[in-house]
Amino acid sequence: MAEMEVKESKRKGPGVKKSKKHSTRVDLTPMVDLGFLLITFFIFTTTVSQPTAMNLNMPKDTKDKNLDTKVKESGSLTLMLGKDNIIYYYYANDPSKMQTTGYKAVRDIILKKKKSTPAEDLFIIIKPDKDATYKNAVDILDEMDINDITRYAMVDPTPEEYNMIQQTEVAGGVK
Amino acid sequence: MARAKIKRGSTSVDMTPMCDVAFLLLTFFILAAQFKPTEAIEVNPPMSVSNRVAPEKNILNVTISKDNKVYLIMDPLIKGDVLDELGKQRNISFSAQDKANFERTDFVGVPLNQLKQFIQLKPGEAKGADLPGIPVDSTNNELAAWISAAINARMGQQLNFLIKGDDRAKYPTFKAVIEAFKANDQYKYNLVTNSKAVPEGSELYKKNRAAQTDKKTTE
Repeated sequence: MAEMEVKESKRKGPGVKKSKKHSTRVDLTPMVDLGFLLITFFIFTTTVSQPTAMNLNMPKDTKDKNLDTKVKESGSLTLMLGKDNIIYYYYANDPSKMQTTGYKAVRDIILKKKKSTPAEDLFIIIKPDKDATYKNAVDILDEMDINDITRYAMVDPTPEEYNMIQQTEVAGGVK
Repeated sequence: MARAKIKRGSTSVDMTPMCDVAFLLLTFFILAAQFKPTEAIEVNPPMSVSNRVAPEKNILNVTISKDNKVYLIMDPLIKGDVLDELGKQRNISFSAQDKANFERTDFVGVPLNQLKQFIQLKPGEAKGADLPGIPVDSTNNELAAWISAAINARMGQQLNFLIKGDDRAKYPTFKAVIEAFKANDQYKYNLVTNSKAVPEGSELYKKNRAAQTDKKTTE
């Protein structure tokens, strides 16, 4: 019981003033409120923090050139992941027309390409260079998921492309 | 003015039992909640929109730390077999004591030639940051040996390969890990990520919405 019984003393003489007794009953409602709030909090937080997994399937390495996936030049978009979260991209097979973008803007570029190309021709080539981080690679793979791109591949940039990125980085002052 | 007094019951309810129940439940949830154990290897995985829960059974987890060191975490069930198999492959003999010590460790984070010292460490003493990690260079890819040992130890049963990388890990390390898997003819991996919401209006968002409405109409 929340209230405490207060025993009145019987030794009350005639001259003793009766002091007014405050109720000792405590309102427990706020405490209960708090209790349930915490319970709700714990229930919600215990299940949420499970890590998720993203599927990644890599192709088998083949020496045989005939088994390589053929990509139509008109449908290809190459994204090169460079240092400092910068993406260098070019269309078709023309690295000299390389442009620069970031991870936020790349979605529009992918979507634009997707809209302008027949679905069976579209192919995105991802080339993370030595300075890209793991996060960059996962982000771009995630971007493929988000934009519902089914045909893409992850390969290394050619030495020429790597040099170009290096030069651009030096020119752009990216350390 | 003599009027019969009706005794009025108090309208205030005694909250004590409710309060008791509330706190009992609270205590239960606090105690029952499994707090994330402090990890020996600190890794902050990137985000993805994937909503598949990472597998927890039959796992072989390759963790890449922020300073590009590679660690291996195995399903406790296969640890003993993996060590046997590795010993066979590399002609290293492990005593029963070594094996017991090995089964106690949470992860592997050293090259093979330091393995015997490493398993002497008590659990909790091994901190990922102080250890050199498993070599994954193309010349000396010991991770491939571990993976091969794990596959053989499992004898054809499907292992779930998890790769858990830190945001700041560099791509070449990740590629070296992939190469190690490829060397063993394994091409399917699960990248461990934290989930994030699918951006509204994106293609996947529309696709998911369409799938949901389809489900509703068929129900």
